[in-house]
Amino acid sequence: MKSDSEHSFVELLQKHQNIVHKICRIYTDNEHAHNDLFQEISIQLWKAFPKFRGDSKFSTWMYRVGLNTAITLYRKSLRTIKSQPIESVAYKLSYQDYDDTKDQQLKMIYAAVKKLNDIDKGIIFLYLESKNYKEISDTLGISEVNARVRMNRIKTKLKTQLNA
Amino acid sequence: MDELELLKKDWEKSIKNYPSLSKEEIYSLISRRSSSIVKWIFIISVLEFSLWTLLSFGLDGSSEAYEKIGSYGYEFIIYPLVGISYIVIFGFMYLFYKNYRNISVTENTKVLMERILKTRKTVKQYVIYNITVMYLGIILGVIMELSSNSEIHILISDIKSKGENGIYIFYLIVAVLSLIAMALITMFFLGFYYLIYGLLLKRLKVNYKELKKLDHGE
Repeated sequence: MKSDSEHSFVELLQKHQNIVHKICRIYTDNEHAHNDLFQEISIQLWKAFPKFRGDSKFSTWMYRVGLNTAITLYRKSLRTIKSQPIESVAYKLSYQDYDDTKDQQLKMIYAAVKKLNDIDKGIIFLYLESKNYKEISDTLGISEVNARVRMNRIKTKLKTQLNA
Repeated sequence: MDELELLKKDWEKSIKNYPSLSKEEIYSLISRRSSSIVKWIFIISVLEFSLWTLLSFGLDGSSEAYEKIGSYGYEFIIYPLVGISYIVIFGFMYLFYKNYRNISVTENTKVLMERILKTRKTVKQYVIYNITVMYLGIILGVIMELSSNSEIHILISDIKSKGENGIYIFYLIVAVLSLIAMALITMFFLGFYYLIYGLLLKRLKVNYKELKKLDHGE
């Protein structure tokens, strides 16, 4: 029997699942890893759901839990060692996101983003999601000023890499 | 066009490329087991606590060892030490549990990392405490044997009767052997922890360092 809270959680996650897909896109570089991280974020969201009080938007809360999972909790190597069942739901996912970018320049930009460290990836992800510096600093636990300074450095870093 | 603007535009467009999971698929996903580092830290820490508790109370507490210590007349040292050990282990377990319960994925990234590292630190301190106790055990054991074991007394007087320098060499050998035993214990556990940390916490530590650097405006 599925509880009411499980029903409402699944409904909310289904509605906002794109946020999780986007986090996976920034932090992984192949479909298998994407699915794996998607699964771990979903589990962490579900485990933390009792703590969601509804005083913030579900989507805002998802950004925090999702990024925390990607940056801190997710363990890639052990997952790879542990073979996953073939019938895994995650394996049924198929999409053309990876290697789909035709534009050469965009490909290079994405490749440069992939080279950033985990924290910088988090900052650029929140920037791409149109979050302001207050939200970025609240999510990562750094000051607003430092978030801004780092964002500028990331921009310069990307520029240098792309023009090299 | 600015690179980031270009990226942002494509980012917004990319939404249509993502798969859409059905509710049934999401139900199935959340029923799976997590493989997060927090879960591994919990498992490893519980194993460490069990191992060290077994070692300190299972082996040292064997009746044979107690009888021997009793026959040497050293109960007055050993029993209070065992009592203190019980208090210390429960203290560490309480701290570990408290820190572990404090780990919450809904905190900001920096706080989450700090709490995970704090939880590990408690276990690390527990292990350091146990290794120290083990060293003290070795030293105490050697002193007890030297002062109370009648066979060793005979051996010592035998060595003394053969010449003055012999006894110094004997003590030197005992000291060197004790040091080697301690060094081996240290190397074994350092290697063991290097492996655990290497496997489990390397990425977290790198990221935490990066966040700290960022917080100092570097």
